[in-house]
Amino acid sequence: MSRYEDEYESTKRNCNCKKCQNKNRQGAQDVQNMHDDADVLQAGTQDSFIEQESDELVLIKDSCNIEVQSTDTQVAVSLQVGLQLAIALVISITIGDSDEGQNVAQDLFQELNAEQTNKQRIIIENSKDVTITTTDTDLAVNIQVLLEVLVALVAKLDVL
Amino acid sequence: MSDSLKNSKVLSDKVIDLLVSNTFQKNGVNIDKAKKKLTDEQKQAFKELVEDLTKQVNSFVKQPSSKQENSK
Repeated sequence: MSRYEDEYESTKRNCNCKKCQNKNRQGAQDVQNMHDDADVLQAGTQDSFIEQESDELVLIKDSCNIEVQSTDTQVAVSLQVGLQLAIALVISITIGDSDEGQNVAQDLFQELNAEQTNKQRIIIENSKDVTITTTDTDLAVNIQVLLEVLVALVAKLDVL
Repeated sequence: MSDSLKNSKVLSDKVIDLLVSNTFQKNGVNIDKAKKKLTDEQKQAFKELVEDLTKQVNSFVKQPSSKQENSK
């Protein structure tokens, strides 16, 4: 922490004037209000997030006849979004865009909420005739589960 | 249900079915009422949507689209 920030922090804590006390009280009340609404805030935004991080490095040095096959993650992500949209759409049309419908969609996505980090490093050095194939299996499984939910959902509605 | 929809199951049908049923029940959704609300056109559209997405997922899982990088 810098010197200025340090000074600011100490001023903030030690100041006892009426203006600051009122401000602090208001701040505390705001925090309290935020806690009261915590369920609503959380359900509306956090649950539909799928956090995904992919980090891929392919390094080929002093080599020949090297073939690297890697799945295109962008396709998987767009498929995932497409499936989520389809589930939300089916619910929205069937149950309506009411609180009830939104809760159902949120609950389904909540169960599927996934945080995923894939890190992959391929380093090929002084080599010849190497073939490497990699697949993003975790994401593929995630997509399959989303599809299964969608199929179960429409099956329940006698669509299939 | 067509054969393509039955392929590539990760979780069992029962688990997914329970998840969906439980979610409906928890939120007080009447499935019979929801079924009646759907028109034939909407049902057909849903069916096509699901079949299309199933094809896309199956082709991604079985034959992942890939980019090739060659270094010589």
